[in-house]
Amino acid sequence: MTQFQIIVQDLTKTYRVPEREPGLKASIRSLYHKTYREVPAVKAISFRIEAGERVGFIGPNGAGKTTTLKMLAGLLHPSGGEALVAGFTPWQRKPDYLRQIAMVLGNKSQLMWDIPAHDTFRVLAEIYHVPASQFDATLGELVDLLDLGDLLSRPVRNLSLGERMKCELAASLIHHPAVLFLDEPTLGLDVSMQRRLRKFIAEYNRRHNATVILTSHYMADVVELCPRVILIHHGELLYDGPLAGLSEKLAPFKLIRLALREPIDGNLPEGIHIVSQENGSLTLRVERRDTAAITAQLLRTLPVIDLSVEDPPIETVIDQIYQEGAI
Amino acid sequence: MNHRGGLALIEQTWLSWMQHRSFFFLLAFGWMVPPLIYLFVWSTAAGGGTIGGLTRGEFVAYYLVLIVVNQLTYAQTNWTVGDLIRDGRLSKLLLYPMSPLYNTLATELAGKVVYMIFAIPITAILALVLRPELHLSAGQVIAFISALGLAWLLRFFWGYWLALLAFWITRADSLLALQDALIFLLAGQVAPVALLPGVLKTAAIALPFRYMAGFPVEVLTGQAAGVDLVTGFALQIGWTAAAIMLYLALWRRGVRHFTAIGG
Repeated sequence: MTQFQIIVQDLTKTYRVPEREPGLKASIRSLYHKTYREVPAVKAISFRIEAGERVGFIGPNGAGKTTTLKMLAGLLHPSGGEALVAGFTPWQRKPDYLRQIAMVLGNKSQLMWDIPAHDTFRVLAEIYHVPASQFDATLGELVDLLDLGDLLSRPVRNLSLGERMKCELAASLIHHPAVLFLDEPTLGLDVSMQRRLRKFIAEYNRRHNATVILTSHYMADVVELCPRVILIHHGELLYDGPLAGLSEKLAPFKLIRLALREPIDGNLPEGIHIVSQENGSLTLRVERRDTAAITAQLLRTLPVIDLSVEDPPIETVIDQIYQEGAI
Repeated sequence: MNHRGGLALIEQTWLSWMQHRSFFFLLAFGWMVPPLIYLFVWSTAAGGGTIGGLTRGEFVAYYLVLIVVNQLTYAQTNWTVGDLIRDGRLSKLLLYPMSPLYNTLATELAGKVVYMIFAIPITAILALVLRPELHLSAGQVIAFISALGLAWLLRFFWGYWLALLAFWITRADSLLALQDALIFLLAGQVAPVALLPGVLKTAAIALPFRYMAGFPVEVLTGQAAGVDLVTGFALQIGWTAAAIMLYLALWRRGVRHFTAIGG
């Protein structure tokens, strides 16, 4: 039987938000008579994740990703439903549970600002009761994997955003969490730093079989890191499966890019949509199942220098879902 | 309870604060000014005689001890608890397998050490110049240390439960400002409590504020003795217990509220 690290059943969160009309009169009335509105953030979602999986939570802003993540990390009490993470109910916040997880919030820091990161790591080791020998080994590994080197001895406020983020990640791993929640870990980082962090997360996951759940608006994070994605929109689970499947399901077409010796005159074969055309290059959209036949036909009939067949960019696919709100 | 993590946190917070010691020295200097003003007012007024049974030298002793006691018991950390709740940084602390109270205690204790590095030498110099009059017995010193410890506990937890109201009220720290004002008036800063007029004196004895600063000073200078001393300790212990119970009740409800609405 497969051992699930995370089991989520009908997890629901509804926020109660105070509401009042604009203006002075309404603000005085709201002093003694408050009205609230129920805002559903997560609507009865269910999924299971095995130990060692890397799963990407995707969805537009306000979809309910962070709310779900916060419930799984024990920071939010759900309005309904159940969850078991590493055998614990997260929102009971038992110390034994908290020792098994880590959460990295891309926009919040857990490092002490005025002292070197190395000192914060020592405090964390004490908080999590990490034995000295294990601490040294873990730190050595993290320094190696993240190339932390002399960063650790400089006050955190003197580090760049990217350097700080590397230290944040290291700080969250000092106690070897079995489950890692990463909320926008690459927020605001440049492309090469993003790539580096992704490589690190993948390597850490491989070495320690840690379960990783990641939210990100950078599709590259998800493409490279997450064999499985869970798509949430308006609090509902729209898709759970491999990223490629999402693209096939949603975008049943391929893009053919052509470089031509001379501009074409006359019509293209039936069933081809021109996406863009400039000078000698042409981008066409064709039905997935017709791709082979149409490619052969194009090669026969047009003065082709170069031809490539591609999947539509994942950003386009995702944008389509975000806009339409359905698959 | 996770004392091991708490101790490490205290040590690091102290190191972190030492980076800004000049800022904290200035803060400590600011807190020193009002008692110093009243030191000069009362010792000048007493001149060669006595007021309410206190001589010039005894006023000097009272206020010099008050300067140190006030700094030792002032729970400045409570001002930051509200921010922690309001801007959601509390979430980060709730992820640790350790009570967030440790975090507040860490800054509190770290601060005390930094302030004392400043306050003790300054008070010692003032004592050399102003010649205080203080007759100490071993019993007084022991009673003083107990009263001082309780005063810190009371002032800390009283401010802490007020600060925790930030779970429900947006600007709970205005209540901390009110607490400071009441301490200024009723905890022996404007004048030793024994010198306060009728109603104010009764209020000062009954309410918790005297037991946060003035009472330990009265114990050391011998103003609180006999029955006064016993009832004083009884009230101090009672108020401290009340403050801790209020903290525990509000903390539990507050975290439940916080995790219901999200940080």
